[in-house]
Amino acid sequence: MLAGGQSSRMGRPKSGLEWHGSTLLRRTAGIMARVTSGPVVVVRAPGQGLPELPEGVLVADDPREGRGPLQGIAAGLAALSGRAEIAFVASTDMPFLHPAFIRRVLGVLAQSEGTDVALPVARGYKQPLAAGYRVWLAEAAERLVKEDRLRPAFLFEESRVRTLDDAALKQDPVLAALDPDLDSVLNVNTPGDYAAARARPAPEVTVQLFGTVAKGGASGGPHLVRAATVGAAADAVAVVFDRHVTAALNGDQITRDRMTPLAAGDTVFFLSADAGG
Amino acid sequence: MPAGGYFGRALVVDVTSGTSRSQPLPDGVLRGYIGGSGLGTWLLYQMGTPGADPLGPAAPLAFVFSPLVGTPLTTSAKFAVVAKSPLTGMLTDALASSQFAIAGKLTGHDAIVIDGRAPELSVLLVDGDGTRLITAAHLTGLTAADTDRRLRSELGRGWRVAAIGPAGERGVRYATISHDGRHAGRGGLGAVMGAKNLKAIAVRAAAKVATADPAAVLAAARDLRERSFGPATAKYRELGTLANLLAFNAISALPSRNFQSATFDGTAELAGGAAGNAGGAAEDIDGMRRVARSSCASCTIGCEHIYRVGKGRKVRAEYENVFALGPMCGVSEPGAVLAASARCDDLGIDTISAGGTIAWAMECAQRGLIDAPWLRFGDADALLRALDEIGARSTPLGSLLAEGSRRASATVGGGSGAFAPHVKGLEMPGYEPRTLHAMALGLAVNARGADHNRSGAYEADLSGDLVRLDGGEAHVTAAVETEDRAAVMDSLILCKFLRGVFTDPFTEWAALLSGVTGWDVTGRELRDTARRIVMAKRVYNIREGWQPADDWLPDRLLNEPLSLPSGRVAALTADRLRAMIGSYYAMRGLDPQGRPDRTAVDDLGLA
Ligand code: SF4
Repeated sequence: MLAGGQSSRMGRPKSGLEWHGSTLLRRTAGIMARVTSGPVVVVRAPGQGLPELPEGVLVADDPREGRGPLQGIAAGLAALSGRAEIAFVASTDMPFLHPAFIRRVLGVLAQSEGTDVALPVARGYKQPLAAGYRVWLAEAAERLVKEDRLRPAFLFEESRVRTLDDAALKQDPVLAALDPDLDSVLNVNTPGDYAAARARPAPEVTVQLFGTVAKGGASGGPHLVRAATVGAAADAVAVVFDRHVTAALNGDQITRDRMTPLAAGDTVFFLSADAGG
Repeated sequence: MPAGGYFGRALVVDVTSGTSRSQPLPDGVLRGYIGGSGLGTWLLYQMGTPGADPLGPAAPLAFVFSPLVGTPLTTSAKFAVVAKSPLTGMLTDALASSQFAIAGKLTGHDAIVIDGRAPELSVLLVDGDGTRLITAAHLTGLTAADTDRRLRSELGRGWRVAAIGPAGERGVRYATISHDGRHAGRGGLGAVMGAKNLKAIAVRAAAKVATADPAAVLAAARDLRERSFGPATAKYRELGTLANLLAFNAISALPSRNFQSATFDGTAELAGGAAGNAGGAAEDIDGMRRVARSSCASCTIGCEHIYRVGKGRKVRAEYENVFALGPMCGVSEPGAVLAASARCDDLGIDTISAGGTIAWAMECAQRGLIDAPWLRFGDADALLRALDEIGARSTPLGSLLAEGSRRASATVGGGSGAFAPHVKGLEMPGYEPRTLHAMALGLAVNARGADHNRSGAYEADLSGDLVRLDGGEAHVTAAVETEDRAAVMDSLILCKFLRGVFTDPFTEWAALLSGVTGWDVTGRELRDTARRIVMAKRVYNIREGWQPADDWLPDRLLNEPLSLPSGRVAALTADRLRAMIGSYYAMRGLDPQGRPDRTAVDDLGLA
């Protein structure tokens, strides 16, 4: 995740922007962590302060400030070398990035042996900051930065790139259903963009309650609610999300973190923390 | 002898000759092993003949009490039954709670150890007048509950009974010992008792046990009682463990059809109502109606939820028996599962091993490895028929399955060992290792075999504090910690369902133990005690032939990844499991093959 951009048109750092009780950075990092099995690396400008991050997120520094996205890509991929073969690169400012989008892009890259970059061309634009890269491209990216060739296009020139247009992306039925307009790639650059994005309703998610949690709050469900975080989903069904309660996202990872981000179509199960015999 | 909590001696009965003796238990041993599971391990190491056949006369069977028995502390009326398991050939210790614990200890002994083999089916009586054997000819073939009733009416007031059912008499390797409707369930202790020609043991109180600091213990008891009404035990009080069924299904942790899947399509039916009622869990549910709640002796939690189907019999339903006889065998009718559970109680067999072994046989039948086309997943009548054939050993198939899934798969062959659902010969409980990696380790390394009570590592998986699909160092630390906690709780003994009320467990437990005994035990000392007990079990197992390959999981779990509804794939590879086991050994101070060095063994004070 590239957090070090200039945010000049926004007038303040985008990574710290409030997002439904959390921050934009926290949200994007959380969405990435949900999809990938490897670590999430946040690349920041030298000395840049970051808002609170979910546990397990690594932080890498851009060696020099203001050298643009390719340097960030180089630093991020370098931090992953030896830990992963492919990576999804994202900027901080994509509030609607959906896990299914990341899964689709990485899925294509993982399955195309002769491909170095899976590059979405969504909503009419190339999306180098919502794309999949082979981690070993770090070297080439670093060299290009040294040569002052600072645009991702230079990296693509010397890589085997597979582009994914809207139709190709939406061949994945899950993505087509949950993010039909490919809002995943929408980014917020100005205070106006931000206000408009923030004014949208939170994603629609399903909540189910189990065991004593059901007895304490609403009935078991399923309940359809709008919530951008696990904490908000708990509030929506009047569950007290304290140490006696945990949440399982889509039946998968279990969390106690209120700030865990939700996306459209998610299901949250609230369980007693003492589940088990 | 300590100022309270103990009598300082064990009663050793040789049922071959009908004679008994009192064996002093040194202070150091009591302090080092506490009681219950810990003291039982020490006793077994001392008294068992190395390499003895678990079903032979030379294998002792120990009923071990604990310092807290007889105090007003909630959930403390418990005892451990400890022996070499006929399923695993290693140590097994089953805990149970009932008035038997109190009456047994107040015979004036910290343990009753039984050796030999009675000349005919007998009942052993122990009270203030000593020990004697009486004939059990008239009890032959009775259920444990009927035996209990008959004996108590014959013997008169004050007697408490632990008995075996017909399966124990016939040497079913996973037979249980029962008392007050509770069971020392796992590992085949009922078969060990049956091999001693003992149908029952009856005990009657004759002594009083001192408490070192009665005021402190009473205050602690009041406090614990209050806490036992709080949110940490709400699940057990309000719903019982059956509530796990829906939750585990939702998180792909519910093994079904012999671990072919981690969800079960019949869960909603089994747990009651449609998916729309998901959280309504287990209360007055479709078909299965909750008719009562009850508790063990001296317990303020009361986790027993009694159900009834139609006009059928009342049956206690817990997660494990419903899992094993339901999803594991593909059965989703609540009435059928309760009936199967009642049948296990009548026969006196462990529901988890019975369900696991039958599920394995169903898969064998499906694959044509066993010629029993009637034995199909999901067929409730087939399940009941199989249980009957096992309990009676009345057919070749029944006799085969009475041996448990490990032995049966060795006989059947054809690759069926790869999906025999056991560790060390003990069938797996209802926790899916592929989606619960801390638990996977706990199950693999545990001394008793696949067991969810001596290792509670699933707690860490379900806590959200670690990534349950990505086992690593954090999972190893969690597995060690829960194993240590269980070792102390099982030796004190306190019910595991109380565990959530302690905020600083070792220190709080040390205070309880000090109040009862007069020792100045610290939390730190108890942590050492925990490690000693865990190590002693391993050392016992090594003496009895444990090999590194025994700390492992069934091949199926390592070779067949699961696809989760979230789109993720849950895999537990052999490499990952091996790495976790390696770290576990290192953390426990064992060599890479899982063996302690000489000094560590000497420190245990076993020899
Ligand atoms: S909580 Fe349940 S198992 Fe534990 S002592 Fe009480 S009734 Fe018995």
